[in-house]
Amino acid sequence: MSIQESWKIGVLFSTSGVTSIIEQSQLNGTLLAIDEINAAGGVRGRSIEPISYNPDSVVSCYGEMAERLIVDDKITALFGCYMSSSRKEVLPVVERRNALFFYPTLYEGFEYSPNVIYGGATPNQNSVPLANYLMGAFGKRIFFVGSDYIYPRESNRVMRNVLRQGGGEVIGERYYGFDVDEEGFAEVAREIVEMKPDAIFSTVVGQMCIDFYRAYHAAGGDGRICPIASLTTNEAEIAAIGPEAAVGHITAAPYFRNISSPANRKFLKAYNAKFGSVRDVTSCCEAAYSQMHLFATALEEVGEMDADRLHEALLGATFDAPQGQIKIDPDNNHTYLQSRIARVDEQGEFIIENKLRRAIKPDPYLVYPKIHDWNFRTQKVKQFPV
Amino acid sequence: MSDFIQDLRDLNTLVVHQRDRSGDDLLQQVNRIGCNCENAWPIPVTLQKKFDLVFIDVTDQPVDRIKSFLNSAGGEPPTVIALIGYENPSTLESIFEIGAHAMLTKPVRATGVLGSMLMARRYWAEQLRFRKDLAKMRDRVVNLQKINDAKFILMRHHGIDDQEAYGVIRKQAMSKRTTTLEIAQSIINADGILRNIGNS
Repeated sequence: MSIQESWKIGVLFSTSGVTSIIEQSQLNGTLLAIDEINAAGGVRGRSIEPISYNPDSVVSCYGEMAERLIVDDKITALFGCYMSSSRKEVLPVVERRNALFFYPTLYEGFEYSPNVIYGGATPNQNSVPLANYLMGAFGKRIFFVGSDYIYPRESNRVMRNVLRQGGGEVIGERYYGFDVDEEGFAEVAREIVEMKPDAIFSTVVGQMCIDFYRAYHAAGGDGRICPIASLTTNEAEIAAIGPEAAVGHITAAPYFRNISSPANRKFLKAYNAKFGSVRDVTSCCEAAYSQMHLFATALEEVGEMDADRLHEALLGATFDAPQGQIKIDPDNNHTYLQSRIARVDEQGEFIIENKLRRAIKPDPYLVYPKIHDWNFRTQKVKQFPV
Repeated sequence: MSDFIQDLRDLNTLVVHQRDRSGDDLLQQVNRIGCNCENAWPIPVTLQKKFDLVFIDVTDQPVDRIKSFLNSAGGEPPTVIALIGYENPSTLESIFEIGAHAMLTKPVRATGVLGSMLMARRYWAEQLRFRKDLAKMRDRVVNLQKINDAKFILMRHHGIDDQEAYGVIRKQAMSKRTTTLEIAQSIINADGILRNIGNS
């Protein structure tokens, strides 16, 4: 295999800075998939070789580094980005240079680029099931807290709309800049505890999310009574928050670490062998892992790094991901994903409470999701004693 | 949230464009956005009434033909988004001539289609409202003028003041169960007839 040249691909995840916890896990998922592909003989006998840069969570670096990967390193396939702002930096670069860009993160929708394969959930895939669940299980008075950027604002718009259709009410809405710490959340935490909403919908991301959950706990908030529900808070962040402050809180996502399936067990075993622990495995990590496998299958079929031909091969492609089967929607480059709702138990582990029976079609341009859409009803997951 | 965004998926759209790369990309994007979408090419003679929004390729197409097509549905013309291949003054002039509400340049990219649809819808709705308001205002000015004329006639003949004259018109309108405008019109007509008798 060493005689032949390897397939070079670009990787852009921050391993330092505010979003490094989650991006490190996405990088790990990417690298693990590459290892598996190479260990199985590579693609058409040639191994995949990642060229990875660290944008340090600085938005402008993503665009510059994408440019460098394409121009200097001559890559045509790029994997990376967590925040929408960083994706928006990379987008014009990959369109101008015609590279294929794999984005393994949930985001706010309302975008389509022929150069992007979107691997994370759009609001219709998680928000509607979560809103249904919250109103059914807790009540209709919801408080919104978010980081101040495009994703929280758009996902709150969707959530507000879904809640209203179900007779729910948003009793407060606050946004915080990225410089806010635990201290900075103290006031809103007190306010929430005083107002006694039925649940909190949080779109606070990154390090801030850990601070917010802790501040809520410090103010006397109890997730078992009034939970914080989120689309982004994952296993890595729950671990950082600690079981005491995290217990009872809820996350809706396509993937959770404790899914019991052969594909997931195999994934976790390999992850543990490579990185020594599965502590930071998250849905974004799983999406990054799955996207690399989808790419490798397409490359196997096409046999060259031409962005257009790879794109063609990827449309409609399926993969038995750790979350279950996923499929790239040929209509919009987004991905059919599973939808699950999980709650943190006393040990700080997510327990999946509800799920949808089958993968949901992504609908990135959905302005008003319908709460009564039968497709978005979740079903209770039977708990087996472990 | 504005109605334009809310009602977006209810729009019936027609893409008048060749099935080439730009045409396909546009059709797919409109589908992704979630609107009902049909395609036609070359420019049909008549436009079906059901279409709310029409994308039309104006590159190298005779303006008269486009105009007659857009006006062929009868009633209010639809929202129009022009697709142009060349951004030169004569092409841009033709966009004004056909009364487009927004434009997209070719090659069409997915980004920008949603925005231009919304801007076009808003501009179209605003134009419609302005036209209606304007017609209403025009009527009102004419009506006011008529009532004033009638008042002057009454004032002249009966030596009463402005307010009393209006009172007479209003009272007549109420007792005959009609509008002040109609009474004013009758007074003007009667005055004309009487004056003509005097002259002949």
